[in-house]
Amino acid sequence: MVAFEVPEIDYTRYTNRQLAAVPLAILAVALLIIAGWYVVTGAPVSPGLDFTGGAELRVAVDAPSDQARAQIQETFDPAPATVRSVPNDNTYILTFQTDSADISSLEEQARAAGFEVQSSYTVSPSFGSRTQMLALGGVAFAFVGMSVLVFLMFRTFVPSIAVVISAFSDIVVPVALMNVLGIDLTLGTVAALLMIIGYSVDSDILLNNHILRRSGGFYESTHRAMRTGVTMTLTSLAAMVVMTIVATLFGIQLLAAIGTVLVFGLTTDLMNTYMLNLSLLRWYKYEGVSN
Amino acid sequence: MGTFRDNWRIFVLVFVLMASLFALFSPTMAQGGTETSGLANDGPTNLQYGLQLSGGTRIRAPLVGVTATDVEYGSEEAPDVERAVANELDNATVADVIARPGTDGAGTVEVTTEGVTPEELGTALDAAGYSYGETRDGVTEETRSQTVDILSNKINEAGLSGGTVQQITSGNDHFILIEVPDENRQNVEELVNQRGSVRVDVYYPTNGEYQQETVLERDDFQSIGNARQGGEGQLPNVPVVVRESAAPPFQQRMVETGVAAQGGSTCRYGAAPNSTDACMLLVVDGEVVNAFGMSPGLAGDMRTGDWADDPRFILQTQNFSGAREVAINLRAGALPAPLDIGPDGEGTSSYISPSQGTQFRVDSLLTGLIAVLAVAGVVFLRYGEVEVALPMIVTALSEVIILLGFAAGIGYPLDLSVIAGFIAVIGTGVDDLIIIADEVMSEGDVNSRRVFQSRFRKAFWVIGAAAATTIIAMSPLAVLSLGDLQGFAIFTILGVVVGVLLTRPAYGDILRALMTR
Repeated sequence: MVAFEVPEIDYTRYTNRQLAAVPLAILAVALLIIAGWYVVTGAPVSPGLDFTGGAELRVAVDAPSDQARAQIQETFDPAPATVRSVPNDNTYILTFQTDSADISSLEEQARAAGFEVQSSYTVSPSFGSRTQMLALGGVAFAFVGMSVLVFLMFRTFVPSIAVVISAFSDIVVPVALMNVLGIDLTLGTVAALLMIIGYSVDSDILLNNHILRRSGGFYESTHRAMRTGVTMTLTSLAAMVVMTIVATLFGIQLLAAIGTVLVFGLTTDLMNTYMLNLSLLRWYKYEGVSN
Repeated sequence: MGTFRDNWRIFVLVFVLMASLFALFSPTMAQGGTETSGLANDGPTNLQYGLQLSGGTRIRAPLVGVTATDVEYGSEEAPDVERAVANELDNATVADVIARPGTDGAGTVEVTTEGVTPEELGTALDAAGYSYGETRDGVTEETRSQTVDILSNKINEAGLSGGTVQQITSGNDHFILIEVPDENRQNVEELVNQRGSVRVDVYYPTNGEYQQETVLERDDFQSIGNARQGGEGQLPNVPVVVRESAAPPFQQRMVETGVAAQGGSTCRYGAAPNSTDACMLLVVDGEVVNAFGMSPGLAGDMRTGDWADDPRFILQTQNFSGAREVAINLRAGALPAPLDIGPDGEGTSSYISPSQGTQFRVDSLLTGLIAVLAVAGVVFLRYGEVEVALPMIVTALSEVIILLGFAAGIGYPLDLSVIAGFIAVIGTGVDDLIIIADEVMSEGDVNSRRVFQSRFRKAFWVIGAAAATTIIAMSPLAVLSLGDLQGFAIFTILGVVVGVLLTRPAYGDILRALMTR
């Protein structure tokens, strides 16, 4: 069997500044995107149906794709805000983001037009905004809780803050990517953001642990931590890429949303752990301790 | 014995696995009351599926209403208080006001209708001369649990088998959660949207003016029959028996108002409300659904007083579905407060067709399996040794089996979010096993048990730390009741706990057995 090895990177060729520059620049760009989004739309990320309120209808239309879309546009009043097709079969997911969308009448319109209603979902705007507050509070609590825990575990400032900054960037970059790619914030993506906190901290803790608590040189420890950490992240990444693709084909939106955001987060984490976190640790190990 | 002591973790894992498989597949563990549990249960396992994976309607909404606490009733009885408060409110009738006396002369007053704010309730209480503590949005605990009971009754009476109604609390907010398998939204919404207060009024002329007064209410009925189709000149109707205590006064009112006139009465309430004979009106939620007169035979019995000895009666409706509604509402009772649903409400509802639910069940299972295969592929590629990789996959899968067994054992309904949780558990589980494997195999061969133990312990520090952060990150979702995601968080946390306490130590033992031979 062919075993792949995590390649050994010669970190001595790069200065701490060089290493940290790339992830920090990307973090800055991500923050800019989010700030810009906030200025233009009034929210740091576009909230989806779960938070704005509205209705979603999943219908099967027995017609070729372009005809089906035309039929859908004719059928509904109010017209759907978005129409997405599920690749696997002749199913369409329609969203109605109006306050006046009465789901029962929409269902009736769909049935009258001969569509099969597979599922429907409605959230009232006030329920949605309540959910949004809860979700944001949840993410904030999770992040603060994780930070406190990391500080308690390492009890030194630089290694702890390195983990916290990495985790922060692991969340912010996927959020910016969601804005760019037009992915709305839903309950599924909120769950994924929370999971990023859980997943991404693993490899950071592993790296810190190897460098700070083990015998052996800095680069040797780093290489060992990387061998394990990169394998970990790659396995998760593989699982999530596959889950995203399959769930999209099947039209299971919750799983697809969780998968997509986690793919962003895990990829960002690879960069942050082995460039940002590593450079901070190297600075701490060689210069910070003696001060 | 030595083997057992060294490998006890593996034995514990095998034992727990067997117990989980037992919970999953044993017919003796199958929960008997699936009819009332609100969940579908089929296939070879004891797993219960939630609505997303079996189809049905779910409605989640708060109740409409405002409440004043610590209201001093003085010497007045609750019905008097209700009447006095209702008189001071423009948007509410007596039926919308509920006074609940407490133990020490003070009680609560609730107004359960749209369009009354806490401030307006305060003003009304002031105007009616009652002192009170504070007014707030929402209704009392008693009203909520009463509503839950009545809604359950309604769902049972309507023959929607397996429907459940429960109260859920999230912070200071209270919601009613209604789940009905296999039923579409319209039917469920129609049923729960109605307050369902049914009464019989009499409408009669006095001095050239028509008067209306209530003669029968739900409590006045001793038994309520099934809705009947009617036929042979009869409208669809519900046969009822009036209570012994209520029958004589009712009979007397019928005679006095002229409904039970000599030769009966013919009602023309709809066509000529200002010139009709006296009528009986069937009123549901304040709206007259039907008006009818009395047959000569029945009128005769009432006039002689014989009717009260055998007080049977029929409530006529315009159509059969109306008759069914009346029967259901009379048996289940009226909701003390309406649900706040609809586009301008505070709720959310979802409907999944049964075929879609079944499809999701198969698809999400496939998705999970393919994700596991991807993980297995990467692990095999990375280690190249079957001895390391195969136990890894087996161990990670055993975590999922334990969680599935747990779900089957406690009857937790599987939904998409729970499946996502399983996939997350496999992800974190394999991550931790990679940490163990790498740590144990680092720096040359593992030749003695002591070396193994010390390396294993080192690996476990990282695993414990990672587990703690995952639990912290997921805990808000587990307690906040953010709709569908609670199951995801609960099972991710459970998986981490099972992993750290059970499966990952066992993997260490397996690895040691394979490495230190």
